[in-house]
Amino acid sequence: MGYLINNIFRSSFDPLSVFFLAVIAVVSLPSAVYSVGYMKGRYSSGKITLGWALLILFAASMALVVTVKNAFSFIIVWELMSLVSYFLVIFDHEHERSIQAGTIYIVMTHIGTAFIITAILIIFGHAHSFDFAAMKNACLFMPSGTKNLVFVLFLAGFGTKAGIVPLHVWLPYAHPQAPSHISSIMSGVMIKTAIYALIRFAVMIVGVESTWWGEALLVVAAVSCLVGVIYALMEHDIKKLLAYHSVENIGIILLGVGASVLFIKLSMPLAAAFAMAAGLYHLINHAIFKALLFLCAGSVYSATGKRDMEKMGGLIKVMPWTAATFLVGSMAISALPPLNGFVSEWLTFQAFFMGVVSAPAGIKIFMGILAGVLALTSGLAAACFVKAFGITFLAMPRSQNAACAKESPFSMKLAMVFLAMLTVVFGLAAPLILKYLVRVSGSVLSVDTSAAGFTLNNLIIAPRGSGGIYLSPSLLALGLIVIIGMTVLAVYAVWGRRRLTTGKTWDCGYYPAICLDQGGIPPVSDRGRDKLDPRTEYTATAFSKPFRIAFDFFLLPYRKTEKIRESFYHVKSFKYELYTTPVFKEYIYQPLLRAVFKISDSLKRAQSGSIHLYIAYIFITMLALIIFMSRF
Amino acid sequence: MEIMQLLLTGILFMTFVLAISKRLGAMIGAFRAQSLFLFFTTLYLAMKGRDIEIYIVAFLLLSVKVIAIPRLLSRMVKRIKAEGAAGLFVNPTLSIFIAMFLTYLSYLFTRRIMPFADRAQGEAVIISLAVTLIGLFIMVSRMKAISQIVGLLVMENGLFLVASSVSGGMPFFVEIAIFFDIFVCVIILGMFVYKINKVFTHIDVNKMRELKG
Repeated sequence: MGYLINNIFRSSFDPLSVFFLAVIAVVSLPSAVYSVGYMKGRYSSGKITLGWALLILFAASMALVVTVKNAFSFIIVWELMSLVSYFLVIFDHEHERSIQAGTIYIVMTHIGTAFIITAILIIFGHAHSFDFAAMKNACLFMPSGTKNLVFVLFLAGFGTKAGIVPLHVWLPYAHPQAPSHISSIMSGVMIKTAIYALIRFAVMIVGVESTWWGEALLVVAAVSCLVGVIYALMEHDIKKLLAYHSVENIGIILLGVGASVLFIKLSMPLAAAFAMAAGLYHLINHAIFKALLFLCAGSVYSATGKRDMEKMGGLIKVMPWTAATFLVGSMAISALPPLNGFVSEWLTFQAFFMGVVSAPAGIKIFMGILAGVLALTSGLAAACFVKAFGITFLAMPRSQNAACAKESPFSMKLAMVFLAMLTVVFGLAAPLILKYLVRVSGSVLSVDTSAAGFTLNNLIIAPRGSGGIYLSPSLLALGLIVIIGMTVLAVYAVWGRRRLTTGKTWDCGYYPAICLDQGGIPPVSDRGRDKLDPRTEYTATAFSKPFRIAFDFFLLPYRKTEKIRESFYHVKSFKYELYTTPVFKEYIYQPLLRAVFKISDSLKRAQSGSIHLYIAYIFITMLALIIFMSRF
Repeated sequence: MEIMQLLLTGILFMTFVLAISKRLGAMIGAFRAQSLFLFFTTLYLAMKGRDIEIYIVAFLLLSVKVIAIPRLLSRMVKRIKAEGAAGLFVNPTLSIFIAMFLTYLSYLFTRRIMPFADRAQGEAVIISLAVTLIGLFIMVSRMKAISQIVGLLVMENGLFLVASSVSGGMPFFVEIAIFFDIFVCVIILGMFVYKINKVFTHIDVNKMRELKG
């Protein structure tokens, strides 16, 4: 045991590990508090105990993943993390969908692990040691072709866990299916451990070999951003929507990391450190607001028992805390100033602009395009969260469940409010945090960042030193407050005190028949029962229609209509269903699965069920071995 | 030396008999005879080495493999009223050719792996390897479940022979443990055969193809 602790599980606490430990703690602790209220009444006491045990094991395994400094023990704790999260995905095992999601998850994650193990074994073949330091030394003498191969393997392996496109298929199934506090940890932290591992192995141990590594990372990241956000726009299951946003945000994080990897090879060390810091900043920001949003979604789910947004509505009146915190989270993820999402996306933009300004010609255009992709992504994300917040919390309840919803208990509110406050803090304290993160990325890339002045003082960020561009979130916030205050004052000065008039929503003249007799003006007594029922509300499907049309080349929408008739002349009801084609599933995974099944079927013929044949296989093998041995 | 060669030849001969016997009764009888030869071989080695432990092993062999197991198997055959035929996939003529080929193969193989062994020892290895291979061949080529048990026991005899003739026997306790193992194994397999017979009303392994998932 002592040997194990000394040699296999020796931990390292370099700045990168410490940073990730902080991320894990920041998300896991509120989620644990939240789970008190969330699990109570949902599960039996035995299952609550199991839930706690798994939660603690999950957090511990993630902490080990980011601290071990031996590749062998890394694989063990990595697998432990995967297995524990699998059991958490199937925690609600009475649902068929949980089991299905768990199966997809565990298959995908093991395919990923296979890549990782292969890569680590290749390095081991050169280093003859699993120790990180020894591996790093050995990688200095590794041929460049091997390095490239190892990088591709790591990208595929860790990319599966991170959920980059097209390896993201498990993510929208597994994350929403787990209990909500687990979804928040999985989306908030677990997929980030893959980013950690990618930085640790590809950048720190193997070392960046050529420029195409960075370019590959950036392309993958850009594709993930767009695909994630477009699918999120089409999604009406609130937790699935958030899961697709995780794909998008992993893309944004990788944009920072990829730019950094590219800058290393272009020998722009300071820009590399800055881009890496931007990526890490978005990483912790995403951890915070995605955990917050998942907790809010869980709160909505436990209040209504539904995840379909089309069945919600009007929740702001019954669940003000959840609504307020969800709004803060939405603003943060949509990158609205002065919240944290804005800062990190701004920093990522600045990293690209550094590339546009001082990189070689081809890279300039590339970086410009990437900045465009990031801008498009942020815009679409904002649209998506207008939909998510508006449809879920505003207007009239669309179902009985939504109408009868109750606010969540104290422990859940506490966790949500805490995370909402963190989004503000991480926005306002940006210069301080950036300073810290630049130190972290400096240690990752072995760049001396003490000379780099990305911040003027504790209030202002200045990526190009003194001169050029400045950002001060706190001043920005102050400015916003002043502007809003002035506007309110001005309105007050012009129109005076608030006057309340309750009017009727104009319903395009669709008044009840009685009203028409009375000249179109509904009598006061009829106002309560007019024809504006929840069915006439704006829906999420309707909201996303423009995007469905704009991206139809990718989404390939199709519809199914069906008329149910009593007779030829009387159509009793009309069914209209709208689908989008899951491109990756249809064109990548289905053919792959079919091929696997085909091969398995042909192999099955060897399994005839005859015992004699099985013994004969052994017999023939033995004879073959004997003959083979006799030859030599 | 001559006695040893005679005994080994006896073992090989009984193995060939096993390979061509068509009925279950004949197979059990041949196995009993083979085990008897094996007992004499062990006894001869014990007398030569004046080792009390090998004596014990030899008499264990006599009681387990010559007396107990064949009796158990015969009772089994009677109890489940299996018809006498073992059900051959490969007819006796071809079986004996295959057995001969296997013997030749083990001869080649032994020559290859231990070219400097003295003649008697080499012969022992050749024959024990041949016995093992033919045992496996019997398992493959017979239909009835009892013949699979016999095949397994024949293989075990072969292994016992190679252990005792080349290395002067395995450690005593290992030997005892193996006897115990074999005995328990036969009892368990016997129970399985009873069960199979009860469920399917036959013990024809060939007809159990449908059992696969």
